[in-house]
Amino acid sequence: MNKRNLIGVVLILGLIFVGVFWESQRARGAAKMTLVAAKVKKAPIGLDDPIWQKAEEINIPLEGKAKFAEKKLVVRTRAVYTYEDLYFRFVWKDATRSVTKAAWQFDGQKWNHLEGNEDRLGLLFEITRIKNFGSQGCTATCHGPYRHPLRDYKFSTGTAGEKGDLWHWKAARTDPYNHADDQWLTVPNEKTGRRDDAGKGGDVRNETEDKSRPLYMKNSAQKPSKPEFLLMNEAVRITDYSGFKAGDIIPYRLPQNLIGSRGDIKVFSRHADGGWTLMLYRPLDTDHEDDVIFDPRKMYSFAMAVFDDSGDEDSYDLETTITLKFKR
Amino acid sequence: MSNTNLTRSEKLFEHLALDGVIARLRDLEVHRDGLTWNRFSGSLALVLVALLFLSGAFMTFYYSPAPGAAYDSVDYALFSVPFGEIIRGVHFYAWNILLVLMGLHLARAFIFGAYKAPRQLVWISGVFVMLVVPAFIITGDLLPWDQKGYWSTHVRTGIISTVPLIGDFLVRLLQGGPLTGIVTLTRFYVLHVIFLPIVLVISIIIHFHFLYQRGISGPLSGNDAARPKVPFLPKMINRWLGLFLLATVILGLIAWIWPAPLGNPADPTDTSYVPKPEWWVLSLNQLVAIFTGPLTVVATVIIPGALVGLIIALPFLDCSPERHPFRRKKMMLVATIIAAVQMGLSIMGYLEHFGELLP
Repeated sequence: MNKRNLIGVVLILGLIFVGVFWESQRARGAAKMTLVAAKVKKAPIGLDDPIWQKAEEINIPLEGKAKFAEKKLVVRTRAVYTYEDLYFRFVWKDATRSVTKAAWQFDGQKWNHLEGNEDRLGLLFEITRIKNFGSQGCTATCHGPYRHPLRDYKFSTGTAGEKGDLWHWKAARTDPYNHADDQWLTVPNEKTGRRDDAGKGGDVRNETEDKSRPLYMKNSAQKPSKPEFLLMNEAVRITDYSGFKAGDIIPYRLPQNLIGSRGDIKVFSRHADGGWTLMLYRPLDTDHEDDVIFDPRKMYSFAMAVFDDSGDEDSYDLETTITLKFKR
Repeated sequence: MSNTNLTRSEKLFEHLALDGVIARLRDLEVHRDGLTWNRFSGSLALVLVALLFLSGAFMTFYYSPAPGAAYDSVDYALFSVPFGEIIRGVHFYAWNILLVLMGLHLARAFIFGAYKAPRQLVWISGVFVMLVVPAFIITGDLLPWDQKGYWSTHVRTGIISTVPLIGDFLVRLLQGGPLTGIVTLTRFYVLHVIFLPIVLVISIIIHFHFLYQRGISGPLSGNDAARPKVPFLPKMINRWLGLFLLATVILGLIAWIWPAPLGNPADPTDTSYVPKPEWWVLSLNQLVAIFTGPLTVVATVIIPGALVGLIIALPFLDCSPERHPFRRKKMMLVATIIAAVQMGLSIMGYLEHFGELLP
């Protein structure tokens, strides 16, 4: 074969391949925001591990709803993954660290709930395809029986075949055990489509049967492992209420360790310099039916919401979804 | 009675009663310069068509042409079936490269005057082959039922609707209703896997028929006497098989390293999604951006139609026997201007749609 022809053919083919590759990798739509998880050999060991620098940071813009209407919040987000686990790192501004969640306060006569709530962050992935989730995010999970108040059914899927995987970090209820609540989403029961993953744990409401006063308090004979919180396994039942004085405060929601599939998502968190830094991580494949399986060859859409000392109605939400891609 | 001196393959052909066909192929001769590597575009295009057929056939085993299931069936074929991602990648890259190769094939035939008598019908049949391929891409684009395919189809049917008199009819014929839905997907699927392959195969057979009858273009000197011939079997067949293996391996590697993209599932309610044009329609898309309102028909019908008409009529517009490009300066100038305008429009379109992605 003629050497000149060979060079010509190689050059032409090279140009074709480069051109085709270049075009194929371009976004071909009004692309959603994409979070690219960097592949790392060593897992990050904390919030400040230099390995996080290997991942590109994106700023996810959230829109305030209800009492946060007209407000905006940006969550700086990175993701990395190893052969086995996926790690997210979120940073957002929040001047106050809210971890009380309607604590009890004694006024000398009776017990009342304080107004404080907790900070939270929620992520929603698809376990199986949820209709229009990729483009509409959590809006696609507004379902409910005909003529029932949407408010009561606002978080569920349209059919039993559509399942979501909810990662719910709660500063007061799951963070003390360095967990996020691993839940899943399906069609609504009497009230909601949200279900707990298989396993045990979650918080206990610290109240008597008539809900008039707390049922548990700190064990004065035991040094608490998390002094700010009252962990359920360290609490003791109140037998004598006469010793309380006006102004005494007792936590209302008592965290319990999450075990089984419900405890798949581990957490590192820090509130400092007027904001939260949070790391959530989980195996790519938990081998649990109530969890999304992350296959690094695929893309995933996820929705996000942040709650600032607030209940479900008052949040910062993502209008659509973020695409999660895995860098190979 | 069988001949005991036959090789195993010859015996097999004899058992299959194909020995006559093989003998005829052996007797068939082609010009040796048809095997030179600077004529690779036609052979490689043929090989890519074969690859597209094979990879497409594989995907049909898993594909479900219904809006609720199409995306997940593609997802399944990609990530749950062994080598699914590579096979879809081969399909994706093959059609992209096929378009480029057909452009090169056309350009070579034009530059070296291969369309001239007696090969006018070789040229025209080749142009018809070229016109079928975009129809494959347009129908295939919708099949994964992802955002890009769905909204690109929406844009394309919008363009088709601008065709005077029959535009709306054509759109309804394609869509099967007022919107892109389940009937559209079924029709596009049938077009993509049954109707268009038949049309393409027939077009290629016709192209080869004329090529066989009229021969490939000879040297520019016009001296045909010095053109040795080689047997079609095994020389040409082996070359095609070699190319097929090479293309399969290279495209397989590319698909393995850079998988073909699959977007989010289609959401017909998401009107905020704006599809970006693919590289091969950037110039056409830019024309649509220039000619708006009542002039849209200029961009969607008149200019593309005139260009296709010009290409088909070329052998009859340029009847001189002269084939040397340097002695066909007028034709080369016109072609250069058309190519430059198309390139300019493509660059404009690229900057408009992808400019923000440039570093």
